[in-house]
Amino acid sequence: MNNKINIKIYLILLVIFFCAFPLHAYVGPGAGFAFISSFLVLFITFFLALFTFIAWPFRFLIKVLKGQKAYKKSRIDRMVIVGLDGIEPTLIEKYMAEGKLPNMSKLKDQGSYARLDTTTPAISPVAWSSFMTGCHPNKHNIFDFLSRNVKNYLPDLSSAKIGTPKRFLPLGKYKIPLSKPEIKGLRKSIPFWNILGDEGIFSTILRIPITFPPEKFKGHLISGMCAPDLKGSQGTFSFYTTDSAKTQKHEGGMIIPVKRSSNTIETYISGPVNSLLKKEKELRLPMTIFVDKDKNNIRIEVSGEKIDLKPGTFSDWIRIKFRPGLGMKIRAICRFYVSQTDPHFEMYLTPLNIDPEKPALPISHPYIYSVYLGKLIGSYTTLGEADDTWALNEEILSEDSFIKLCYDNHKESEDMLFNAMDKTKKGVVACWFQITDSIQHMFFRYLDKNHPALKTGQTEKSVQVIEKLYTDMDDLVGRVMKQMNKNSLLVVMSDHGFKNFSRGFNLNSWLYLNGYLHLKDGKKESDEWFKDVDWSKTKAYGLGLGGIYINLKGREAQGLVSPGEELKTLKQELNAKLSGLRDDKMGKVAINKLYDRDEIPPGPYKSNCPDFIVGYNIDYRVSWDSVTGKVNTTVFEDNTKAWSGDHCIDPSIVPGVLFSSKKINTKTPSIVDIAPTALDLFGIDIPGHIDGRAIIDMSALTSDKNTKHIGQ
Amino acid sequence: MSIINIFFGKLVEWILFPFRGMSPWVGMIVLSLVTGIFMLLVFRLTSNQKGIKSIKNKIKAHILELRLFQDNLKISLSSQGKILKCNLKYISCTMKPMLIMIIPLILILIQMNLWFGYKSFSPDQTAILKVKLKDNYNPVETDIILIPSSSAIIVETLPLRIEEEKEIDWRFSVKENGVHHFDLKIGGWTITKTVDATTSHLRKISTIKVRKNTLDQLFNPGEAPLLKDSPIKSIELTYPNESMNLFGWHIHWIIVYFALSVIFGFAFKGLFGVEI
Repeated sequence: MNNKINIKIYLILLVIFFCAFPLHAYVGPGAGFAFISSFLVLFITFFLALFTFIAWPFRFLIKVLKGQKAYKKSRIDRMVIVGLDGIEPTLIEKYMAEGKLPNMSKLKDQGSYARLDTTTPAISPVAWSSFMTGCHPNKHNIFDFLSRNVKNYLPDLSSAKIGTPKRFLPLGKYKIPLSKPEIKGLRKSIPFWNILGDEGIFSTILRIPITFPPEKFKGHLISGMCAPDLKGSQGTFSFYTTDSAKTQKHEGGMIIPVKRSSNTIETYISGPVNSLLKKEKELRLPMTIFVDKDKNNIRIEVSGEKIDLKPGTFSDWIRIKFRPGLGMKIRAICRFYVSQTDPHFEMYLTPLNIDPEKPALPISHPYIYSVYLGKLIGSYTTLGEADDTWALNEEILSEDSFIKLCYDNHKESEDMLFNAMDKTKKGVVACWFQITDSIQHMFFRYLDKNHPALKTGQTEKSVQVIEKLYTDMDDLVGRVMKQMNKNSLLVVMSDHGFKNFSRGFNLNSWLYLNGYLHLKDGKKESDEWFKDVDWSKTKAYGLGLGGIYINLKGREAQGLVSPGEELKTLKQELNAKLSGLRDDKMGKVAINKLYDRDEIPPGPYKSNCPDFIVGYNIDYRVSWDSVTGKVNTTVFEDNTKAWSGDHCIDPSIVPGVLFSSKKINTKTPSIVDIAPTALDLFGIDIPGHIDGRAIIDMSALTSDKNTKHIGQ
Repeated sequence: MSIINIFFGKLVEWILFPFRGMSPWVGMIVLSLVTGIFMLLVFRLTSNQKGIKSIKNKIKAHILELRLFQDNLKISLSSQGKILKCNLKYISCTMKPMLIMIIPLILILIQMNLWFGYKSFSPDQTAILKVKLKDNYNPVETDIILIPSSSAIIVETLPLRIEEEKEIDWRFSVKENGVHHFDLKIGGWTITKTVDATTSHLRKISTIKVRKNTLDQLFNPGEAPLLKDSPIKSIELTYPNESMNLFGWHIHWIIVYFALSVIFGFAFKGLFGVEI
């Protein structure tokens, strides 16, 4: 009925429109807006098209003159790599045997499947750095998420350094930067897509870890794991609550206590530090929240945006801008989630992601690639580790809301992948998916009925979460397979596997109780980051997710142990005591072995490797307190957090998986083999520094040309 | 019709009132600004803002695609196709607000034409007065007398009667500045037509007087209409066309209005949060 009325109205308006004499053909700004905008688009399109057509022969000629013979020696047209972080081989094999993963089973039958040797340690930034460089960590310099600062024993981010500008011009209360801030990648060696690019082969690299800051190469890249949020952290959520009982410190986030006054809450969004001010302080964005209980609606007004939200639902990405002064704007995107309004108001705000359409830091190569994706698929997460595991671990998010967040983030990555596959018909497409890692970290406890976390934390879900995750990934693989042709290679892989984490081992407490780490006089415990450690008496300390460092004279600022015999003796002692260490309460071996730095092959960055990497047994991992440098008298403790699965253990028991649509020539592939395989498939000589080897069976590749391809 | 004309006539008059003694550019800028902002708000209320934003983003994405995949002719061609497709979608998204804006905009433009469309007569200028009769009147046989209000306007010719057109014309000349009028006596009726020979910068000039309650009245609202049973259909004076002078360049006022209203629209879209 309404449609009929609308049609009539339009018809009347059209009649009036055509009755008007020519002078009135112009119907004001509305038509002007449409006309100008459309004309501009057509104008730009026309000129770009013209430029493309005119420039194309010249570009082609330049390529020929430069001697680039891209794809001439290629054995395939395209290599697609789907990186499913942390997929566990035993689970894959179980679900395949049960017939729950038809696409992966098909991939295995028509190509190959094998367990994939990971790196030491088996941690994502390390493993993915080896994936892209084909080198072990001693050549790419990433040994953990964190590296230690030898001057003050504090942790630094291992993958990138974000500094401040070196020169400023003082102007009143401001200091105007005269140089760019230093943003430096610390991962060394060369990603295989750079080598391919030098030969004219195009790659699209999506969210692969340790690609921040992005490097120049022939292709497109959007940074992944370790790309920071707007605060420069690896992801700091905000939690707003009227409940005074919940205002204690939470890991991974900040708590903002709020007061409700006649259903209105006046608060703020905590932004980055305003480095334009001489006296630096946090930027804050005022925010008003209206709670309408009758309509079960929450209205959030911030940065000129009005967001209506129902409790228990996430907002879309909201674009906000901070104004540090001097007319500058720093833009971010974020999502809101109101978990409850009664009896207390509680709201979660995601970490402030760098706005991909107006990035405050470089997050893509070329710069416009992040803008392009933002325009094409809408705002998307740019934070390296977007699945906010800390928010669930600290019980700020429920299990369901965490899963929703993970799947939303995953959808964005999927959209990027399929767009890249559509555009990259020749070359490499590689995309990393975090969801497999995040969900397993947080829900692995459901696979162990006796897990301590099931007795204390949230237990809304069941083992189905993990199973569904695997079947969803199988579905993704199926959709990717449909896009492949016979001259393409599909690789589905994980960087490491996953195992149960039910007991934490406080390495620093053990070192303290065994006389290797000393506290300041009168102290029996130390707070975070070795606050009360007496370095002048300490011989060894643990930092990061698996490293033991000797407090070495000449290296550490307050080094105690002399290089040579003393060092050797100490290492032998530690190795003997820790290898095979038992957890008496559980009657299990907690540490299988220590991996000694002296036993790894030489490499330019070997000296940055921890002196030992601890190879924990299944069920064990370094404890939460030990990671953050806390020392006390508890060595073993139950892990009662939702974060209940892990891989920072003995690498030999957490291999990843490798599916290849073509036959491989080995039963023991390694993650360092992927890069040389890519180079070999595109007919490029494998550089001598690469540790891995090409693993695609070339004879099978030739015969494959006459057989059905996986997409059929 | 009269009520609509009175409303829009007063509205434009009220807006322009403070600027009567100034250059027409001032009035034009103010009217463009006011109507530009008004239409911006109408556009926001009547258009699918989310849809427009989404389509514009897609267009921008495909334009960036041309840059990102410049080596790939196939993608470039496909992107250009997608841009054109999105452009059509964009135009279709603007149709609804455009159609809704037509009525008030046409009425305002009609009023603006009275203010900016014509020049008043200057001394010694000659012009034609055209009288159109109803179909049942024969111009050759109809008695009609044209009486100038003063010696400031002189009728220079006898009436020219054009039977096929049902029209009677006189040539006259203006001798002095001021507001004058002609009285037309026909079949017991006396009808007045104003002759504008003023010197003010911005003034309302009505070229034609038409009958009441017709569509013509809607498009010619400058003067009180002729009564319906009057023997005359319309009385028209051939005023010279006015143009906007921009550094010696004479531009039709509607072009100026087009440019200014669009500029103001784009300039204020951010302030009013309108996606156009």
